[in-house]
Amino acid sequence: MEEIGAAFVTALKLIITGDPEVLSITLRSIIISGSATILSALIFIPAGSAVFFSEFPGKKGLVNLINTLFSVPTVFVGLVVFIAISRSGPLGGLGLLFTPGAMVTAQALLISPVITGLSISALSGVRPEIKDTALSLGASRVQIAITMLREVRYAMAVVVLAGFGRAISEVGAGIMVGGNIRGYTRTLTTAMSLETSMGNIEFSMALGIILITIALFVSIIVYRLQRL
Amino acid sequence: MINIRQLNKFYGGRQILRDINLNIDAEEVFSFIGPSGAGKTTLLRLIDLLERPTSGTILYKGVNTAASENIRIETRRKMAMVFQRPAMFGASVFDNVAYGLKVRGEKNPRLADRVGKAIQDVGLAGYEEQDARTLSGGEIQRVALARALVISPEVLLLDEPTANLDPVSTVTIEKLIMKIIGEMNITVIMSTHDMAQGQRLAGKIAVMMEGRILQTGDPGLVFNKPENHLVARFVGVENIFEGNISSNSDGLVNVAFGPHVLEGISDLSAGEKVNIFLRPEEITLTPSRTATSARNSFRGEIMRISLNGPLARVELDCGFPMIALITRRSAEELNLQKGQNVYASFKATQVHIIKR
Amino acid sequence: MKKITLPLSILFLTLLLVAVSMPACSAGAPEDTGKSITPSAASDAGRILAKRDRVKVATTTSLYDTGLWGFLEPMFEKKYNVELDVLYAGTGKAIEYGTRGDVDVLTIHDKAREEKLVADGIGVKRVPFASNHFIITGPPSDPAGIKGMSPEAAFKTLMEKGKTSPQQVQFISRGDNSGTHSKEKAIWKAAGYEYEDVTKSGPWYVEAGSGMGPTLVMAKEKSAYTVADIGTFLAYKGKLGLASLVDRGAILLNVYSVIPINPDKVPGTNLKMAENMVDFLTSPEIQTLIGKYGADEYGEQLFTPSAGAEPVE
Repeated sequence: MEEIGAAFVTALKLIITGDPEVLSITLRSIIISGSATILSALIFIPAGSAVFFSEFPGKKGLVNLINTLFSVPTVFVGLVVFIAISRSGPLGGLGLLFTPGAMVTAQALLISPVITGLSISALSGVRPEIKDTALSLGASRVQIAITMLREVRYAMAVVVLAGFGRAISEVGAGIMVGGNIRGYTRTLTTAMSLETSMGNIEFSMALGIILITIALFVSIIVYRLQRL
Repeated sequence: MINIRQLNKFYGGRQILRDINLNIDAEEVFSFIGPSGAGKTTLLRLIDLLERPTSGTILYKGVNTAASENIRIETRRKMAMVFQRPAMFGASVFDNVAYGLKVRGEKNPRLADRVGKAIQDVGLAGYEEQDARTLSGGEIQRVALARALVISPEVLLLDEPTANLDPVSTVTIEKLIMKIIGEMNITVIMSTHDMAQGQRLAGKIAVMMEGRILQTGDPGLVFNKPENHLVARFVGVENIFEGNISSNSDGLVNVAFGPHVLEGISDLSAGEKVNIFLRPEEITLTPSRTATSARNSFRGEIMRISLNGPLARVELDCGFPMIALITRRSAEELNLQKGQNVYASFKATQVHIIKR
Repeated sequence: MKKITLPLSILFLTLLLVAVSMPACSAGAPEDTGKSITPSAASDAGRILAKRDRVKVATTTSLYDTGLWGFLEPMFEKKYNVELDVLYAGTGKAIEYGTRGDVDVLTIHDKAREEKLVADGIGVKRVPFASNHFIITGPPSDPAGIKGMSPEAAFKTLMEKGKTSPQQVQFISRGDNSGTHSKEKAIWKAAGYEYEDVTKSGPWYVEAGSGMGPTLVMAKEKSAYTVADIGTFLAYKGKLGLASLVDRGAILLNVYSVIPINPDKVPGTNLKMAENMVDFLTSPEIQTLIGKYGADEYGEQLFTPSAGAEPVE
C-alpha cells in the first residue's frame, strides 16, 4: 500500500510539474487517437449511413456482424495491419510500419465497427416521421440523409467520442504497428506497458492517471450530450 | 388536377386501400372522412407520393406520377403535407419553416422574407429562434402549416389537422385553414374523423371505411342523404330502420317497419325493401301530441338522457328504439325525466329512404 | 440548421489541436537534444511529419532496457542528421523485422542465427561491437543451492530440484525466441538435455514470453531463477532483490553484433544509414562510451567494447 501511495504522489508531481516526457506522450496520444477517430468517422459515419439508408439482401446480417466486431481483439487488428503495411506486405511500399500513421490506420480500423454500428443505431433512433416530413417537403434522397444525420448530431458526437475512447485506451494494435518508438510512436498505453515492465511504476501511474482523466472527460461530455 | 384510378395498397398481406377511384379538382377543398383505420392517411401518403401504390395510377395534371423518379420528386415538390403528429426537426422555428425552401435551393434574402412572412401568417412572429421541439401541440401544428405553406404548394395535404389538439387550438387551426382556403389559390386535401369538421371546412367529402370510398359528394348531400347504412351510421344518422314501402302517392310514401308506419318522401314504388335513415337532431320532443306540421309522431318512454355539450341526447322506447338530439335548454324547459312519456315528431321530408 | 453542428465543431477542434500541437508534441521530449537544424520547433515538426530521413534499428531488449540506446540515439541522430527509430524486440522478432524489410539494421545477440542471416544474404555482414556475459540469477536465499556452480551443473541441479519441489524452485524462461532464450537453450543442451524435454518437465519451468526486464520482474515476484544478461540485470538490480548466482563459464559469453540489412535481398531498406550505424558503433569514440556506459550508475561496466573483433571469454 505504501508503495502505491508513494508512486501516486510521484505520479501527481510528474503531472503537475508538467514533466516534458509525460506531456509529450499525452499530446501524442491525443493526436494519434484523435486523428484515427477523425479518419474513421469521416469514412465510417458515411459508410454506416449508406448501410442504414439502403436496402439490400443480407443487410440485417451485416449489421449483426458489425455489432459483433465491436469487440474485435486489438491485437488481431494489429496483426492484420502489420501484415498489410510491412515492407513485404501488399502496402509495404508506403513505408508506414512503425510510424504514427500506422497507429492511426490500426486504430481507425479498430474503431470502425464501433463508428459504423453506432452510426446505424443512432440513425435508427430517428422518428420515421422526420424522414416523411423531409420527403414531403421535397427533399431528395441525399438531402433526407443529411437531414437525418443532422437530427442525430448529438448522438453522432457520442459515436465519435466512443470511438475516441476505444482508440486512446487500446494498446495491442498500437504497440504492434507503431513499435513504441520513443518520441515518435510512444503513446500513453504503450508507454505504460513498457514502463511497468521496466519497473517504473511512478511514471506508468502518471500516465494512467492522465488516461483515466481523459476517459472521464470523454464520458462527461457523452453524458452531457445524451441529455441534450 | 388529381385523378386516381383503381388504386390498391397492401401492407404485408393486409389490404389497406381497395379500388380507389377519385377525381379532385383544382382549388377544391376535399376531405376524406372516416373512422380510424379507414385508410385515409395511407391515401394521403400515396397522393403525396411518399409511398407507391400496390396497383393503380395517380395522375397529377394528367401526368402519370409513376413515370419516373424525377417526375415523382418534381410532383411531390408541388405539394406539401402536414402530418397528424407533425415532426419538428431539432432546430429553430425559422429553420423548420425554411426547410422546404432550402431543399429547393432558395437563397437569402428571399428565403428569410418568405419564411418570416409564413411564420407571421400562422401567428408565430417572435418565435423564430425558439427550438421548435419546445413548442406546444397547437404551436407545432402552426409551424407545420407554415412549413408547408412557405413553399407555395399547389396542393396542401392535411392529415387530421386537429386530431391531437385541445378545443381552443382546434379553433385556431381551423380558422387558419379557412383563411388559407379563402386567400390562396390552393387545392386542399385533408382527412378527418370529425364529420362536423369535414362539413365546416370541405367543399367536397369522401366517406371512407375499411379501405373503400363509400360515398363522394358535397357535405350537405352526404350528411343528409347517405347512400348506405354504413355511411349513414358514420355521418351521425342514429335512427336506422329496415322496412317496406307499403304505398306511394305522388312521392309521399308510407313505410312499414315492424308494426309501425311512418311517412316519408321517395320515388320508390310500393313493395320495395328500404332502409330508413333519420338524423336524431331532426326529431322534436313534446309532452303531448300537439298540432304540428310533422307528419310523423310516436309516443315513447324516456330510457336515458345524456348531456353532450350544449346538446342533450335522449333515448326513447317507442316500441322501437329512437334517439333524439335536442338542445340542452329545451330539455330543461320540458323538464324531461327518465321514465316520462313524450311524443317524438319529425317531418316526412327529414326521412331519408334508400333501397335496401 | 444555421447552428454549427456539434460533431463538426468537435472534428474541427480536434483538427485544430492536431495542427497546433504537431510541433509542440515532441518539443518537450527529452530525446530531442541533438538537433542540428534550428530553430528546434521547425525540426520537431519535421520529425513528426517524417520529411527528414528515418532509419530504423531493431534491437534486442537488453540493449534497450539498459538504457544504452536511449543514450546513443541522439548522438547518432546528430552525427548523421537523421531520425533514428529504435524498436525493441527479442532477437527472434528483430530478425523477423529485418527479413520483412521493416527495419534497416539490427543489433542483436545470437551468433548462430546471425551467421545464418548473413549466409542467407539478408544480412550484409555481422560486426560484433560489444559483449558482456549472462548470469543465472535467483533469490538470494538460493533454495536450489547453485551458487558458484558451473552453468551446466547449475542447470542440472535446477532441473532436479525443480522437478521434486516445484514450490521452492522455479525457473522462468524468456520463452520468446530471443537471444537470451537461445543462450538458455544452449546451456540446457550443454548440460545434456533436449530442450523439448525441458519445456515438458513440469510446472517448475515457466515460459514468460516477455522481454528481459519483464522476465526479471517476474522472477522477483515468484522468487524464481532465470538467465539474464548482466547489463539488464545491473540496470534492474535496484528494483529486484535478486542475486547473481552463477556468472563464470565460457558458455555465458554474450556478444552483441550489428547487422545491416541487404537492400538487394530486402528492397526498400536504407543500407547507407545501416553502414553508418556500423561505423558509428565501432568508432573509437562510441566504443569508449559503450565501455563506460553505466559504470558510474551501476558500479561496474555493463558492456565490454569489442570494436568489430569476435570477443572471447
